[in-house]
Amino acid sequence: MAPIVRQGRQSPMTATDRWGYPRATGPDLMSRRPTPEAAAPAPRRKLGVVLVDPLPVVRAGVALLIDERADMEVLAEAGDGLDGIEQLAKVRRSRVVVLVGLGLEGDHDASWLIRTVRERFPEHALLAMGANADPSTVSHALFVGADGYVDKNCDPTEFLVAIQKVAVREMVLLGPAAAAVGEIADGIELRRDLDLRLTGREREVLAVAAEGLTARQIATRLGVRERTVTTHLARIYGKLGVGNRLAAVRMAARSGLVTVGAND
Amino acid sequence: MILGVVRLACDALPDVEIVREVDNAPDAFEAATRIDPDIAVVDLDLADTEGADVLRGLRDRGFAGRIVAVSERVDGQAVFEAMRFGVDAYLAKPDGLRRIGEAIRRVREGERVLDPALENAAVLELGRFARQARESSEMVSSLTRREREILDLLAEGLTMKQIGRRLGISPRTVETHVAKLYRKLAVRTRVQAVAKAASLGLIELR
Repeated sequence: MAPIVRQGRQSPMTATDRWGYPRATGPDLMSRRPTPEAAAPAPRRKLGVVLVDPLPVVRAGVALLIDERADMEVLAEAGDGLDGIEQLAKVRRSRVVVLVGLGLEGDHDASWLIRTVRERFPEHALLAMGANADPSTVSHALFVGADGYVDKNCDPTEFLVAIQKVAVREMVLLGPAAAAVGEIADGIELRRDLDLRLTGREREVLAVAAEGLTARQIATRLGVRERTVTTHLARIYGKLGVGNRLAAVRMAARSGLVTVGAND
Repeated sequence: MILGVVRLACDALPDVEIVREVDNAPDAFEAATRIDPDIAVVDLDLADTEGADVLRGLRDRGFAGRIVAVSERVDGQAVFEAMRFGVDAYLAKPDGLRRIGEAIRRVREGERVLDPALENAAVLELGRFARQARESSEMVSSLTRREREILDLLAEGLTMKQIGRRLGISPRTVETHVAKLYRKLAVRTRVQAVAKAASLGLIELR
């Protein structure tokens, strides 16, 4: 197999990347056996990780895994998005990896957290974690700003490698998602098209319509007249080139704009 | 060369037979629609047709079978593009050809076959793709409705005066809008603005 030339990476001989973190190597990663590279001066600083996931057991497991490592540490943990941002505000580091559990729900769900981190802490890297997430969920996470996605049922060693890769802003897909690159890209493209074609208000109407509400219920929810809602819906169908609500909602769902059914 | 390898590989598989061999894109399209095989083994390095166009042609004609792609190209962009057309296996020439029999057998069972290095390259390309999509949607949301209208008219080739007349505003006002628009798109000329807008998917070039 001809070698794949990756842009922007140095030669494989270097033991650390350009931020001083040890480079991800293969199966040797977990072993504590000192290697010739390890004899070199220790990295100036450990790679900091902030962990935000609603499930305490997941947080505990990931924290254990990371603390095993000499070159990584968990700086903070949070069980919801809002607390995650508060914790991040206290972190006095410029480049950390934020692990975001896609199971976060409510007003401050995973996509809120990803967007907010992107906006407020653009230098941090974001790694989304899910369990068997479908391609549209992964599309959405990547579109809003995640640098990668890992499935929680992956191999622990690979999981740690993924953290190191996103730390240098290298895209990672771990788990079944890796085979679904095509579908994920389709979702991202669709999502971008929705953003290009629909106004913010129209996307809002579409998202509420996806819940299966009547035009009157949508109107009540958004505090507008029923007529306004039907006008919006008609314009949305026109812009998306679909004939009815079901088709529009299906499109929005494939793009990850709306979530149909539970997703973790 | 590829035909020979595929023939050998299929002979070794008890329940696989070659139903048609073609050496150009038009014949491939014809075969895909007429015969509708379960699996198409596609060489992406045909002389007359780009690999992506072969895949697009097959899918556009409704071919929904599995595709085993074979190519000299091992860069992320090529693999990513192929995956967007739903190929089930991507094998690099010449080494990957050794595994073509195995690939045919596995895609038949619904598996995907992709070397980890190729997969990694495609994933990196996906990263660029996602970032670009996000940036274009951010840029679009920063444009006002008026700026988008003017962008459309700029793309049509109208002068400032004509745009002003069309929108019922003074040419000076148009110029102000255009200046702001250029700043947001980070461009200096109309041609750059139109090219940028097209690459972002904001306007369609005809």
